[in-house]
Amino acid sequence: MAVEKMKVIGIVGSNSDLDKVARIVIMNGSMHILNALSELNSNCIELKTSEDNIDIIQELNDIRPYSSKADFSEDEKIIKSFHDALNIQPKIIKGHIDPTFNYHDLMEDFKRNYEAVKYTIERIEELEQNISIKQKHIKNLYYAKREGLDIGTLLGLKYFDFDMMSLSREKYKKLKLNYENIPSVVIHLGVFEDSDIVAAITPKELKEDAERIFVSLNILKLDIPKGYTGNTESIIKILQQEILTMKSEIGELKAEVLLSREKYEPIIVKSYTMLVVEQKIENIKSEIAIGENLFFMFGFVPLSDIEKFQSQIKCAFQDQVILLVEDVENRKYGHSPPTKLKNNIIFKPFESLVEMYGIPTYNEKDPTPFFALSYMLLFGAMFGDLGQGFVIFASGLLLKYIMKNDAFGGILARLGISSMFFGLLYGSVFGNEEIIEHLLISPMDNINTVLISAIVLGILLINISYIYSLLNLYKRRDLEEGIFGREGLAGYLFFLVLILFVLDKILNLIGVAAWVYLLVLGALLLLMVFKQPLDHMIRGKKELYEDGATDYYIEAGFGVIETILSVASNIISFIRVGAFALNHVGLYIAFATMAEMMTSQIAGIAVLIIGNIVIIGLEGLIVFIQSLRLEYYELFSKYYSGYGIPYKPAQLTANEDY
Amino acid sequence: MSNISRFAAVNTKIKTLEGEFLSIDDYRSMLKQRSVADAARFLIKETEYKEVLENIDINQIHRAYLESLVKQKMLNNIDKIIHYFNGSYKRFITTLYAKYEIEELKAVARAVYNGMDTKPFRNSVFIGKYSKVDEERVFNAKYIRDIIEAFEGTAFYRYLQPLLDNNIKENLFRFEMVMDASYYEILQKEWDKLDKHDIEVLQKAQGIMADLLNLQWIYRGIKFYSLSPEELLNYSIHLGYRLSNNFIKQLCYSKSLDEFYEMTALTRYNFLFKNDETTDIFMERRLERHMYFELKSVEKSNPMTIITTFSYIKFMEIEVRDLISMIEMIRYGMPEAEAEKYLIRTLNGGA
Repeated sequence: MAVEKMKVIGIVGSNSDLDKVARIVIMNGSMHILNALSELNSNCIELKTSEDNIDIIQELNDIRPYSSKADFSEDEKIIKSFHDALNIQPKIIKGHIDPTFNYHDLMEDFKRNYEAVKYTIERIEELEQNISIKQKHIKNLYYAKREGLDIGTLLGLKYFDFDMMSLSREKYKKLKLNYENIPSVVIHLGVFEDSDIVAAITPKELKEDAERIFVSLNILKLDIPKGYTGNTESIIKILQQEILTMKSEIGELKAEVLLSREKYEPIIVKSYTMLVVEQKIENIKSEIAIGENLFFMFGFVPLSDIEKFQSQIKCAFQDQVILLVEDVENRKYGHSPPTKLKNNIIFKPFESLVEMYGIPTYNEKDPTPFFALSYMLLFGAMFGDLGQGFVIFASGLLLKYIMKNDAFGGILARLGISSMFFGLLYGSVFGNEEIIEHLLISPMDNINTVLISAIVLGILLINISYIYSLLNLYKRRDLEEGIFGREGLAGYLFFLVLILFVLDKILNLIGVAAWVYLLVLGALLLLMVFKQPLDHMIRGKKELYEDGATDYYIEAGFGVIETILSVASNIISFIRVGAFALNHVGLYIAFATMAEMMTSQIAGIAVLIIGNIVIIGLEGLIVFIQSLRLEYYELFSKYYSGYGIPYKPAQLTANEDY
Repeated sequence: MSNISRFAAVNTKIKTLEGEFLSIDDYRSMLKQRSVADAARFLIKETEYKEVLENIDINQIHRAYLESLVKQKMLNNIDKIIHYFNGSYKRFITTLYAKYEIEELKAVARAVYNGMDTKPFRNSVFIGKYSKVDEERVFNAKYIRDIIEAFEGTAFYRYLQPLLDNNIKENLFRFEMVMDASYYEILQKEWDKLDKHDIEVLQKAQGIMADLLNLQWIYRGIKFYSLSPEELLNYSIHLGYRLSNNFIKQLCYSKSLDEFYEMTALTRYNFLFKNDETTDIFMERRLERHMYFELKSVEKSNPMTIITTFSYIKFMEIEVRDLISMIEMIRYGMPEAEAEKYLIRTLNGGA
């Protein structure tokens, strides 16, 4: 239930082992690769200056990025055409990965296999190309047919040339504007995809002039089938017949190829898998540094995977490859570690909502558990209904299991449960409050209680977020913000004292005089105003301000106003939790009243059903958003930065595409 | 959407960006620089171009690179403005990139055609910005055909495809003409989707630009290229504002340069043709200057329209062109007094 700990791993090995190491890294699938050059520049790797390491230290003087880039497009193309011909879906089988194999040999083997069917596949492609040409011919002939042009005759003219062409609409306008000066008869045949299609009949004598003009109109000549006789219609018929013949030939060839599917499938899958691995290796290589004889690879590996990683490398190379393992805490410079969230099954789906705001930084507490609990609480409190909650729950399950939307389905299901729970407390089923007795409270009958409890809930949640914030600031050892900051101790005390002050005045609890409170609050505000100089004094820094005193105090001055305002607005903001609980009942009452006004009972029931749908859809959405708003704005702004980097290990994912 | 809500924010942004334009004094100091590196240093120290120059090793800088960085600044500014638009307006503004992309593509095509190395053009900032073409394929082209094929699947392809016809010898001239023409067709198509009033202003602004370019084209066609009247007409831009398509047609069919002068003398654009040796040298400059003032006046009489953005981009272009000219003048050591004659902006008072 937290951000998973990482370690930095460095791998140094001989260049000849690079491919093999990269393959193991991908098979292992837990290393978040770092740019090795910047890593070497910012962090000194710790090596004892012994004889064993002398080579490495020498190499470090002359490192450069790995530059030669392999081109797989050719392999990709033939593997794809083989897939298509045999009608096989590309898939990856991890079992096929063998770290020691030679990609080049495998591809040679693959190509030998491919050779056997190559001719047939190429013939199919050729036929398909022919078909598309003929189809284009037919399309062009249809333009002519529509205007009653007889292609056979026109093409056979002795003193005239016949052409069909398309040109843009603008250019066609120019042609029309200057028609009297063009030595051709131009017949407009139609408009297709924003282009005008025309036919031109030109005396052969004037062909050259006409051609120059047509070129300046940027015409595209349309292909007309040559060598056919008969009128347009019969030529179209012949072409269609030819296409049918070719199609049946393709069918036969395809069936023939498919016979060998069983035989070739294993090698195809294997080659594809290895191709994808090889492409991933290229990605890894772009981040490594390379010397004369050695390579350097760096990355983060989660603590839980580190043993497996080490043993896999050890197993394959014994001592030929040096593994450096370093604690993240010792790093001063360079890339901050990526964040891998680790949450139990109840909270897991909510990670996606947290990530929508930002990913926790490595040193931050993962807010997901608190977020999940408070989010369910807020949603349920605003949308408490046994029946409607069940609908949401069911649609969540539907999303998750049928439509495979894990995260969102999971969230909906959990919100549904929370809503059902509150439905029991409020005694509400599909808006109706008479079917079951409420266990806790009926919102409409206790409006003030509901609103006040909402505020109390808000104060509680804000308290928890202050505690989170203090923990985060402590983790960062941030004295300035932690002690004197608005989200730190001073801010928290200010918040508490202000609440105590208000309670005391309203309820007459302790009866401390107002000026005492005001004095304390003022003192806390002053601490917040002078947070930077105070911090710098304590830590003995020479300069009191980072960016000059004027700027600092202007900002701090506004900070005071914001602090006061935000304490008030944060708390009051939570009133909406109560308001929506009431609103929920109110909406139902409106529909219930309409239902009663209906003359027939069936119409009444229909109105209630529509009403419920509207309430679930509209109010459900609003409450979903309002809870999110409370979380993001009122709570996250207190304690959560979300500037982290997601953990993206180099690995094979199941559905790699071309 | 009402025009106020569409343009209030972006026009304010443009006002601040216009504040970043170089002043006359900046121009003067620029012309006093003695080397390309000095010019770059001046731009970093005194102007907003520092945004693109700051992290560059100035001592290694050379002319072509500095010019591409200056263009990069222009591109960044347009990028900033685009964020203020959505829907058809966003697409329209994006189309304006096409003009600059085409300009750069033509330069690459020229190099390819003449069998020169395309390496100097790799700094081109606009290529691919509108078309999303695979730049590598453009730069690796051996023939113009390769460039055209690289554009398969982009908005330009439909215009370039006819050039692949085997019957007609593809050549540089056609490539350039087709690219230019495609810009105006694409532009028109996109602006047709805007609000009525915006279309009207654009028709005026772009129309005046088309008038000027048509005159320049037909003049040069008659004087230098000896093209047939039909070709002249087909390559002209039929978007004119003050000059009708029929008038353009008459101009194309004028029998001599004198007849051409006679006809143009009656138009508002007669200032382009002085019938002396300055005509050719200064035509471009006169044209751009005139455009500057025309745009200013259209902008003034049509507040809260697309014209503010449209003009800003044009003004930015003028400044960039001037800067590039100045960098070239510095590089090739042209005296200051001579140099300023070739700038679009007048340095003696006025704008």
